[in-house]
Amino acid sequence: MKILAIDTSCDETAAAITENTRILSNVIWSQASAHAKFGGVMPSLAQRMHEERIDWVIEQAIKRSKLKIQNLDYLAVTIGPGLSIALGVGIDRARKLAEKYGKPLIAVNHLEGHLLSPLANSDILNLKFPNLGLVISGGNTIFIKMNQLGSYEILAQTTDDALGEALDKAARMLGLGYPGGAILEKLARLGNPKKFSLPIPLIGQENRQIFSYSGLKTSFYRLIEANKLKDLHFPSKHDVYDLAATFQNVAFTHLIRIISYILKNDDTTYRDFFVGGGVSANIEIRKRLRNLAKENGLQTHFPYTQRLCGDNAAMIGIAGYFYVTTGNLTKNPKEIDRDPNLKLS
Amino acid sequence: MVSYTLSDLNMLPEKVVKPGKNGVLKAVDVFNKGGLVIYPTETLYGIGADATNPEAIKKLTEYKNRSFGKPYSIAVINQEMAEEYVQLNNTAKNLYRQFLPGPLTIISKGKHRVAPGVESEEGTLGIRIPDYKLVIDIVKTLGRPITATSANASYKKRPYKISDILNSLSRKQIGLIDLIIDAGELPKNDPSTVIDTSLDYKVTLRQGKIKFSDKNEILSRSEENTQNLAKEIWQKYEHNYKHRAIIFALQGEMGAGKTIFTKGLGKAMEITELITSPTFALENEYSKGGKKLYHFDAWRMKNSEELKVLGFDKLIKNKSVISIEWAERVGDIIHKFDDEAIIIWIKIENPQAGGENERIISWGITK
Repeated sequence: MKILAIDTSCDETAAAITENTRILSNVIWSQASAHAKFGGVMPSLAQRMHEERIDWVIEQAIKRSKLKIQNLDYLAVTIGPGLSIALGVGIDRARKLAEKYGKPLIAVNHLEGHLLSPLANSDILNLKFPNLGLVISGGNTIFIKMNQLGSYEILAQTTDDALGEALDKAARMLGLGYPGGAILEKLARLGNPKKFSLPIPLIGQENRQIFSYSGLKTSFYRLIEANKLKDLHFPSKHDVYDLAATFQNVAFTHLIRIISYILKNDDTTYRDFFVGGGVSANIEIRKRLRNLAKENGLQTHFPYTQRLCGDNAAMIGIAGYFYVTTGNLTKNPKEIDRDPNLKLS
Repeated sequence: MVSYTLSDLNMLPEKVVKPGKNGVLKAVDVFNKGGLVIYPTETLYGIGADATNPEAIKKLTEYKNRSFGKPYSIAVINQEMAEEYVQLNNTAKNLYRQFLPGPLTIISKGKHRVAPGVESEEGTLGIRIPDYKLVIDIVKTLGRPITATSANASYKKRPYKISDILNSLSRKQIGLIDLIIDAGELPKNDPSTVIDTSLDYKVTLRQGKIKFSDKNEILSRSEENTQNLAKEIWQKYEHNYKHRAIIFALQGEMGAGKTIFTKGLGKAMEITELITSPTFALENEYSKGGKKLYHFDAWRMKNSEELKVLGFDKLIKNKSVISIEWAERVGDIIHKFDDEAIIIWIKIENPQAGGENERIISWGITK
C-alpha cells in the first residue's frame, strides 16, 4: 500500500511516501536544516504559513521515492492537533491532489503518527492489544493505553508544560537560545547531575497521575538566580554543564517515576511499549525508558531514525497504513476538516 | 588515500591540495576571485565562498541546489570580527565567551554587511568560529568571512570525506568547485549545533504609554491564590462579555505563573478542559463546558505582526475573551485595541525575598 502523506501541524512542512511500514522518502522543510540538521532555528510565523514551500516539499517527496503520484494508493494528511492556519495548508493541498488524481484520502491524528512512528520499518505487522504508548515532544507529554488502533485511554498527561518545552526553556534560562533541548542534551553529557539539587516534581502525589514541569522550571530559575547573587561570574562553562545535567536528570526522573507508579498499579498485561516524539531522540531518556520497560516485562520500540522523532510526514503515512488495515477507513475528501484541538480517544 | 578518481569526475589534479600553507594561499586566491572551495573543519567538510561577494554566493546557491532562499552561516576568526557582521546581545556574548571557538553556530541579528542570501529573510545571521586552524588561517589572510555550510548538496549524506561529496554531485556541480583541500577522512563528529539568540532581544513595552485607570497589587502565596485572583478579576469584568473583547495581557518571567493564572481564568469561565502551556502551539482554544477562551503565547513570535497573522483582529471584532502570555512582546498590537477592548495588564513578579511560591501580582486596565 503506497501512501503520500502530508503534515503541516506546526513549524515544519513535511511530505513523505510510504509503502506499508517502509519509508520511501521523508522530506522535512525546516529552517534548521539550512544551518545544520540539528538543534533548531525557529522559523518565523510567516514561514510557518507553509504555503510557499508545500508544493516543493511534496514534489521532492514524490521525486525521491522514484514513484509517480498516479501509482499511489492513498493520500494521508494530518488534521490535528496543531495550529489551525498551518493545518489548513496541508489539508487543502491533500484534498486537491486527492480530487485531481481520484485517490482516497485518510485523515490522520498527528499524535497517532508519533505513537505509531516506532513501527516504521518494523516487522510487527499485527499489533497485539492492549499495549502502551508515550509521546514526548515540544507540544505533548502523554502516556497512553492503546486498547485498539483508534481507541485510546490517557493514563497521564502534562498539566502545564510539555517535556520538550521544559527542556527548551531550561536551555534558554542557561542562555543557550531557544529551542535548545538538543544542545542541553549534549551539554548534560559533560556535567554532573548531582552537583546542584532540584526537587523532583510531585513527590508523594504520584496518585494524581499527571506530569508537571512548571514547578521544576520555577525552581531552576530560582537556583540560577540565587547562585548569580553569590557569584558574579556564575554560571561558568562547567556550571552550565552541571545545570544542564541536573535539569535533564530531574525532568526525566519525574517522567519515569509517574509511569512506573501507573504500571505498578495496573494489572493489565502489556507486551509492547511505543515511544515517539521529538524527545524520544534523546539517548538518556531512551536508556531510562528501556530499563523501566525491562523491569515491567515490556518491549520498547523507538523510531529507528532521528528524522522520525520530530514532526514529519512519514509517521502520518505509517499511521494511515494502519488506519486502512484496521478498517478505520478514508473519508470523502470534502468532509475532511482541520481539528486544532483533536485528542486521542 | 583517495577513493575517487579525478579524471572520472572531471576534476583537474591541480584543483586538489593538501592542508598547509600552500593550501591556505591557494584558497585565499580562489576566494578573492569569487570561487568555491571545499575545506575541512572540526565537524565535517564545508564549502566556502566569500560571504561578501554576491557573485560568489550565487555560485554557491547553484552548487547547493537550493530551491529556497535558505541562509548560510559564516566563519569568522573571533568575536571582534563577528561583531562587524552581527549584533551580539548578552546571551550571545555569554555563549561566545564559553563555547567558541567550537562546533557551535550562533545566530544573531545581522548588520546586513554580507551578500544577499547569506542572512535569513528575517535578517538573522549564523556565525561559526571553527576550532580548526586551517580555516582560521584562511579567513585571517582573506580578511573577510567565508560561508560555513556543509559541502553536500541539500538532503545528501553528511560529508566526512571528499568521495562522499563528489559521489553525490552532478557533473555540473563538480564543475563549480574551484578548489578542494583534502584532509582525508574526518572523525565522525556531529554537525555544529545551532543556537538562535535572536529571540532573546529585550522587547520592552513603552510603559509610559499605558495609563491605568486603576492599579492594584497583591501578594500571592500559592498557585491557588493566583487562580483565585484570576477568578476575581474575571468576575469584575465579566459583564462586558459579548459586548466587548476582554484581553488578559500577561507579563512575567519564565515560571512566574502566567499559565497558572490562565488556568484560574478558565475555571472562572467554567471551562472543564485541561489548560496547558501554549508555547509550542502558539494558540490554544478552549470552550468545553463553558465560555470560549483563546490562549496565546507571544514568546516564540519574532514580531507583533505574527499575532495579526493568527487572526487577532478578528477575535477582537468578535468580542472574544483572550489570554496572552508574554504580552509585552506584542504590546504595540494590543495597544491598537485600547478603545475597542477591555485590556487588563497583569504583571507577575518574584519578590526579592520570599518563599518559592510567593508572587507579587499587579494589574490594571488601560483607560
